[in-house]
Amino acid sequence: MGRYIERSEHIARYLSVNYFSSLDAPNEISQSRQFVLQSMLFMVGSPVDDKTHKLQEETILYKIGLDPAYDFSIINNVKHARENANSARDLISTELYEAINKFYHFTLNYPKEVFVKNGLYDFTTNVTEMTAVLRGKIRGTLLHDAVYAIIMLGMNIERATQIIRIINAKYHDALKAQGSYGDKFSKSFEWTTLLKCAESYDMMRRLYKKTPTSISTLEFLILNPNCPRSIMNCLNQVYNHIKILHPSNRYDNQSTAFLIGKVRAEYEYKLVEEIEGNIQIFIEDILHNLTQISLKIEKEFFSF
Amino acid sequence: MLTKFYLKTKKFPNKCKIFISEAPKNRYLLGKNHFMTNLENQIFSSYQRNPELYDEIYDQKGDIKEVYQKLFELYGEHSIEDYVNLNAKAKSSFFNQGITFQVYGDNDSKEKIFPFDLFPRIIAPEEWDIIERGAIQRSKALNLFLWDVYHEKKIIRQGVVPMDLIGSSVNYLDKMNGVDPTGGIYNHISGTDVIKHNDGKYYVLEDNIRCPSGVSYVICNRTALKRALFGVFNHYQTHTVTNYAENLLELLESVKPKGVDVPTCVVITPGMYNSAFYEHSYLAKTMGVELVEGRDLFVENDFVYMKTIRGPEKVDVIYRRIDDLFIDPLEFRPDSTLGVPGLFAAYKKGNVTLANAPGTGVADDKAVYTYMPEIIKYYLDEEPILNNVYTYHCSRPDELKYVLEHIPELVIKPVDEAGGYGISIGNRLTKQEVERVKIEVEANPRKYVAQPIMSLSVHPTYIDESESFEQRHVDLRTFTVMGKDKEFVLKGGLTRVALQKGNLIVNSSQGGGSKDTWVLKK
Repeated sequence: MGRYIERSEHIARYLSVNYFSSLDAPNEISQSRQFVLQSMLFMVGSPVDDKTHKLQEETILYKIGLDPAYDFSIINNVKHARENANSARDLISTELYEAINKFYHFTLNYPKEVFVKNGLYDFTTNVTEMTAVLRGKIRGTLLHDAVYAIIMLGMNIERATQIIRIINAKYHDALKAQGSYGDKFSKSFEWTTLLKCAESYDMMRRLYKKTPTSISTLEFLILNPNCPRSIMNCLNQVYNHIKILHPSNRYDNQSTAFLIGKVRAEYEYKLVEEIEGNIQIFIEDILHNLTQISLKIEKEFFSF
Repeated sequence: MLTKFYLKTKKFPNKCKIFISEAPKNRYLLGKNHFMTNLENQIFSSYQRNPELYDEIYDQKGDIKEVYQKLFELYGEHSIEDYVNLNAKAKSSFFNQGITFQVYGDNDSKEKIFPFDLFPRIIAPEEWDIIERGAIQRSKALNLFLWDVYHEKKIIRQGVVPMDLIGSSVNYLDKMNGVDPTGGIYNHISGTDVIKHNDGKYYVLEDNIRCPSGVSYVICNRTALKRALFGVFNHYQTHTVTNYAENLLELLESVKPKGVDVPTCVVITPGMYNSAFYEHSYLAKTMGVELVEGRDLFVENDFVYMKTIRGPEKVDVIYRRIDDLFIDPLEFRPDSTLGVPGLFAAYKKGNVTLANAPGTGVADDKAVYTYMPEIIKYYLDEEPILNNVYTYHCSRPDELKYVLEHIPELVIKPVDEAGGYGISIGNRLTKQEVERVKIEVEANPRKYVAQPIMSLSVHPTYIDESESFEQRHVDLRTFTVMGKDKEFVLKGGLTRVALQKGNLIVNSSQGGGSKDTWVLKK
């Protein structure tokens, strides 16, 4: 449930931020509608291979937002979140259940024509706001016990995964849409978009006080433990919540908690310079680690 | 105060009385014409009362009953438009609470809500007293009957009821013979369906003591009504219905196995695709106990355990929402994946309590129903508080003969079906259908009973299509909880409404709706 809620939010935000920031982007490529639509498809895991193929804006928006035929669509994520909530209905609070249900009916009943014509902003804003409400209800109305820990585990693993996917997508975009002077890749406008997609732009400015570059952006979004959207922060949270499910001083090296601790320790002592040189490998690496953690959790806590 | 208007219409010449609540004073000030338009727009302005039916809100003289007067005034103030809005509000409350069911279409499944009527049914304290005492009396008598038929069978040996009654019942579980349920309770939870006939008296239509459902709707109906029309509760002192879960948990804990100090109770469900899953999860949540499926439990050395991430946890009391034959594949249906292998053996040893006990179905058989007056008299030495509808047994040759000759005046019911399936109402059948029913009954007389057609009372119900109130037939399902030295009847219950005009079958599976039911405090 935590995973689906988190995922729907990231997709909604990615759609909205990319679409609207492209409207005031600095150069032709980053303004191009094709470029933005391709980036959206890349982010949800359905990249376009044939670059000459012309994408229809309305079709793509519908596909990612409201098309029940695609697993990655926002509507399907909300459906899954609600399905999970249904099966755990006795464990979660009525307030949380009703909020999820309201969210579900909102997405289900959102008129398709309005969404693709002029509802993109309205729809995605509502989705992000409703997910914020859900997070509030989870934190504020559930008992902070194993159920809460499982939801939060899902949420944080998913957040780390989505942030890394967004980094991946924007990294590719930055390669294509480079800046106009100096180190063109490092000064691409796409780093700003990336931070906005993670709702971290303002806080990044507050910390670094400079225009985002590749290195400062990656450091902030991956390694800074105080940034609530950073990979490091997510891993710390995951580690804290696994300890609720499996309290122990010393973990057996086959346990999920051991694996999480190991991955966390690796990033805790990593330098951004080590990442910057081979971003692609790093991205694949962290995705692999996150998948391993998910599989282990499933095996240890969900299959009896 | 109410103003009465007597109008003649083509449809109901001379019969139709139309009642309109008095409009607020300021409307008079606006002039006669304006006043008339307002009347046309008010929701009760077109209520047509058929005096042959027993209307719950009118007395015999045709005046609004005292308990309904204030409510009638309050509702009468709403324009049709207001009411349509309120109705939409109530509907969204059901959607948000997730009290829905799925309808499967060609490509997509659609979620629907059970129709809910905003105009509540009110039961006065003195009337409720009869229902409550009657429901407890029946539950007690049925419990003693169950003990007897699974032990010494005195009632049969003394010839009060025929051997055939249980001998031929598909719901009689031989394996329960001689088993002593903890606390001596079989029917921990009973649902008694009562109706009011046109003589103004309550009659029991049937007892449901397997897994009666619907209690969650009682609570959600109240929630929806409170959300839409909270103001009306200021004028009435109504008993709460939200205390059901705590009473149910107290009951379950009162029948814990011997030697257990603080029992672990669970609710077992067939799973989230069951149509009553909402109710199962609601009850588990409000009792604060785990909701489990068969695969979450296992039996070891005749004790039942629940799998948790911290290892097995012993389970002492199970509120089961799975039918008898599915609870244990080792003892009953081997193909059941819903149950727990070994559960019945643990139960027989008294290591776990099942509520309701297996085998209770024999007593909610419609053929047993007909002996209820005798059963109550035999075990409790009391006269029945609630009336039974006179029933003809098709298994008795002389009664079968009467039934076959009088089908158009009778309701023919199969004895072992629930949910309103298989019922034929005599005066609704065509000649061919009457013949078909005759053949069926003759071929399998034990399967059928017949009753005179009861005229269920009617209640004003808002009908979407006509945007007005119309008379619709209603019944009432009450919920009784019985434990060791404890009995409790939920002060409220589910008033079910047959939404089709003239229809007498109120079951939700047959397109029925429901109403909030208020039991007033004394």
